[in-house]
Amino acid sequence: MDKELFETMRLELRRGSLVLAVLACLRTERYGYTLRQALAADGLEMEESTLYPLLRRLEGQGLLTSEWREEEKRKKRFYVLSPGGEAMLAALTDEWRGINASLDRML
Amino acid sequence: MDVIERYLEAVAAQLSTEDREDIVAELRDLILSRVEAREEELGRALSDEEKEAILHEIGHPLVVAARYRKGPDSLIGPELFPYWLFGAKAGLIVIAAVQALGLLVHVLGDPANFGQSIGQAFNGFFAGALTLLGALTLAGAIMEHYDIKPTWLTKWRVRDLSAFGLADPAKWGASMGASDKAKAEWLPKGVKVWGVRAETTGAAQALWSFIASAVFILWWIGVIRFTGIGDFALRGGDVSVTAAPIWSLLFGLILAWAVAGMAVDGVTLWRPEARRLQALLKIPVAAAGLWIGWRLFQAGHWATLTQGDQTAQVMGASPIHMDFDAIHAIPEAQRGLAETALTLGTVLSWVLAIIMLCLAVDILKALWRIATTRD
Repeated sequence: MDKELFETMRLELRRGSLVLAVLACLRTERYGYTLRQALAADGLEMEESTLYPLLRRLEGQGLLTSEWREEEKRKKRFYVLSPGGEAMLAALTDEWRGINASLDRML
Repeated sequence: MDVIERYLEAVAAQLSTEDREDIVAELRDLILSRVEAREEELGRALSDEEKEAILHEIGHPLVVAARYRKGPDSLIGPELFPYWLFGAKAGLIVIAAVQALGLLVHVLGDPANFGQSIGQAFNGFFAGALTLLGALTLAGAIMEHYDIKPTWLTKWRVRDLSAFGLADPAKWGASMGASDKAKAEWLPKGVKVWGVRAETTGAAQALWSFIASAVFILWWIGVIRFTGIGDFALRGGDVSVTAAPIWSLLFGLILAWAVAGMAVDGVTLWRPEARRLQALLKIPVAAAGLWIGWRLFQAGHWATLTQGDQTAQVMGASPIHMDFDAIHAIPEAQRGLAETALTLGTVLSWVLAIIMLCLAVDILKALWRIATTRD
């Protein structure tokens, strides 16, 4: 098997699911660093240079809200799902489960 | 300033002023969180090299800043790229064709300056190609940036798509001289190539060939003259060209050959459906052309250049001894009479060899057509 091709396809496969994973993790309020750790703990490693811009994009789309708060002697930006984000997460979860069920039947 | 601040400064310089402070503060928190986690793991403060290793993992400042940029990630996005590529391919073909035509005219008008003409043609092609690609990219980038979607991109109609079938120049070129079956396969129905429908390209070719043969015959018998062919200027004075005896010997044969070629073209125009007959007529004409070419190569001496009291013979190289080194030597050739004669000999030898190759291919095509076509 061509390992390079596999890596490209694996990344493509993962890319679509990252937004769903981030939205799911942010049902609980987190700041960037702890969010990345939570994703990694569940098996979804994500580069900071991808995660942070994604958080800003999702906030810009109204799916997240954020606020700067001081914690551990430093100001940190905490993110959490907005009401719009919760609705989007529910809709995307249904979609994901549908795709998953279809693929399960095929695989 | 420590490595982290230097890194953040490099990122900040790439960001828009409105978001800069916010993004840099968040990045600083991320980097410090990672440094602290690592320090806790090791039980000591990190050195600058270890901090730099963490910054390497986060990414180059240009890449990190680019991820925060609003708007498109690329100059030409995936939606627009196929249109850009088609425009680039079509434009490059047109530029190449125009330059090739220009080169032909230059070489015919001033054969001694072949090397210079080649250089100009390449220069013209690359300048045109770069301008085209630059203009296309600029137009695409503007459309991408401002999210401009022209109606031809969103509201296309199937009946307008036929021209896109000509995107592959290899298929397009091959279809021009191929069988009807191949044309039907390669050229979409109703598509026009230089204003001529695919179904009639055979007749169009015959018409062009008929006209070209007529012009050649008129020149051959001395009715029309082209300036620059019989004499031209070279450093040191005017040069006159005298044809070698072989041309007098073959004069009548070449005239007959050209007239026969015109006759075949006439038959093609008169009875375009009689493919088998056309092929049958083409074979002896092409074979005669091959024989004339061979006689010319055998003669060797094709012309004499005279400049004042100096003369130099234009000699055709034997097809067996022709090599690409001779062509490579043309641009470096001196501008003296002997070198000009040598250059002319090389160019004409190659032209004649290519013509003979085309004639041989014509014979094979005609034989194939006879074997596969029924009138």
